[in-house]
Amino acid sequence: MTDDSMSQAILVVGGGMSGLSAALEAAEAGFKVVLVEKNPYLGGRVAQLHQYFPKLCPPYCGLEINFRRIRSNPRIEYYTLAEVTSVTGQPGDFTVAVKQNPRFVNEKCTGCGKCSEAVTATISNPFNYGLSQIKAAYLAHELAMPQRFVIDPSIAGTEDGQKAFQACPYGAVDLGDKGQDLTFKVSAVVWATGWTPYDPTKIEYYNYDKSPNIITNVMMERLAAPFGPTQGAIQRPGDGQAPKNVAFIQCAGSRDENNLPFCSSICCLASLKQSTYIRSQLPESKVTIYFIDIRAMDRNEDFYTKVKADEGVSFVKSKIALITPTDGGNLILEGENTTTGERFKAEHDLVVLATGMQPNTALNKIPYDVAYDDYGFVLGNQAIIGAGTVRRPSEVVTCVQDGTSAALKAISAARR
Amino acid sequence: MDYQQDFAKEVYEKVDSGAEIKVCMQCGVCASTCPLREKMKYSPRKLWTLIRAGRRQEVLNCPDIMLCTSCYTCKVRCPRGIPVIDVMHGLAHYALEKGITPREETKKFGEAFWDSIYETGRVDEATVPIKYCLKDGMIAGLKKSLSMLDIGMALMKAKRLTPKLFIPPNFFIPGSHKIKGLKDLQKMLDKAKAMGARKEG
Repeated sequence: MTDDSMSQAILVVGGGMSGLSAALEAAEAGFKVVLVEKNPYLGGRVAQLHQYFPKLCPPYCGLEINFRRIRSNPRIEYYTLAEVTSVTGQPGDFTVAVKQNPRFVNEKCTGCGKCSEAVTATISNPFNYGLSQIKAAYLAHELAMPQRFVIDPSIAGTEDGQKAFQACPYGAVDLGDKGQDLTFKVSAVVWATGWTPYDPTKIEYYNYDKSPNIITNVMMERLAAPFGPTQGAIQRPGDGQAPKNVAFIQCAGSRDENNLPFCSSICCLASLKQSTYIRSQLPESKVTIYFIDIRAMDRNEDFYTKVKADEGVSFVKSKIALITPTDGGNLILEGENTTTGERFKAEHDLVVLATGMQPNTALNKIPYDVAYDDYGFVLGNQAIIGAGTVRRPSEVVTCVQDGTSAALKAISAARR
Repeated sequence: MDYQQDFAKEVYEKVDSGAEIKVCMQCGVCASTCPLREKMKYSPRKLWTLIRAGRRQEVLNCPDIMLCTSCYTCKVRCPRGIPVIDVMHGLAHYALEKGITPREETKKFGEAFWDSIYETGRVDEATVPIKYCLKDGMIAGLKKSLSMLDIGMALMKAKRLTPKLFIPPNFFIPGSHKIKGLKDLQKMLDKAKAMGARKEG
């Protein structure tokens, strides 16, 4: 590549839905794109979902189309396990330093899985939010892009690492991998590092860490997913039993000055969607959704109406004030039903906390002079272009739109 | 049923911290975090609704507004950061000022507390309850004290109440238990009271 083509290149940070959209739209418009992803796979949090609302289709369908677009587009180069360490310069002339962490597995990997069979050490599986263990030589998930195994740094220098090395028939295991430091000169930077579910241990009266049967909404997605820790069987993590009486707690930490003061806009629909997972798989089970207001906007209101028509799903207008685990592994919820004015105690066997979206830019700032709002969301019209959930809490459709919009802004900056 | 359209405005403007309740979003967390939730007829959330609805008599006569023990749990938990305690005390004060006593017992106890400070410069777990019981007269006071005997014994066991204070002359001889410089303290209290009255007026 010549300097000229690189001077119009666009760097996209984050390989989730927003980043993929921005990268693909810019590349398909003829620009050179560098895509940097922190995880060992592309697809971000969308890859961890079971179904989309409101159509209840599997997210991997759309992700695979995007992956095919990447594979067939020579203008995109992507780096997994990579993080941006510094950004200098200004629009039209940025220099970006990227640190790629070692994968210990090179491009010769065929995905055969012999290394995984050989090692004995296990790690908590981050893809399943810790709901399961995985071998320390692993494929991030069944449909991971790229289909290349990862060896956890914790075993690289151990006997287990040697076992993986010896088991590989293709010479793909490289225990001396030190990763690499890369530098890119680009004309625009799109920041799409996404979000993190709000830490439920911060809402101490929900006692999240006191019971395995209190889970978060993202964990519920994994419990229902066919490639999830239970192969799609919805079970209580505490004892593996199918739940009979599930509670969803809306605004768990959201719209709360002590936690996340804003509305994450997606949790209502996520819980409504997850109630259909439970009701369709376990028709005998009951679902109760505790809410302050149900915020189902536009066409999503139809989905709300549909769920409300199900007699197995009840809605209680109340912000739950206390969760107490019982000895039997059940949970007692206390609150005030603000429709009837009565205080109540209700027992459930599985509680799902609808925790909100915290922008990753609130947790890890962009290494550049960027303005944020009070909650850490990236403001508009800046040298670095924010995209997706670093700009505002949003569902997947909006992220695709916002990624495309970021591509347009990046193109106009590159063209200047 | 009384509805006074301007009662909400009256609370926002005249009650200490009254305007804070404007941001309430009616989630109901206060109702279930209050340690006295079983004793309350209404929850704070409900009271705010009654204020907005203009139910002046019902709110100002409600014993709940004098039940608050200032534990601050509701203020800590309130997602909108409303200082529920301050509003409760503001309402209680406002009711008293308007000649309404929402909860006779709290008023008596408050007076006993004030008197104890004013007369001796101290409060302790023995003097204040005795003063409080004697508010109803000697015989009724004795009856009341006896009815609370179990609490007193429990307090003594937990070393929260020192029995020697019951023995004469410590208690019965006036002036036996006073702080140094009581006159100066009384001057301060008088001034504080006058300032409070001026503010309310």
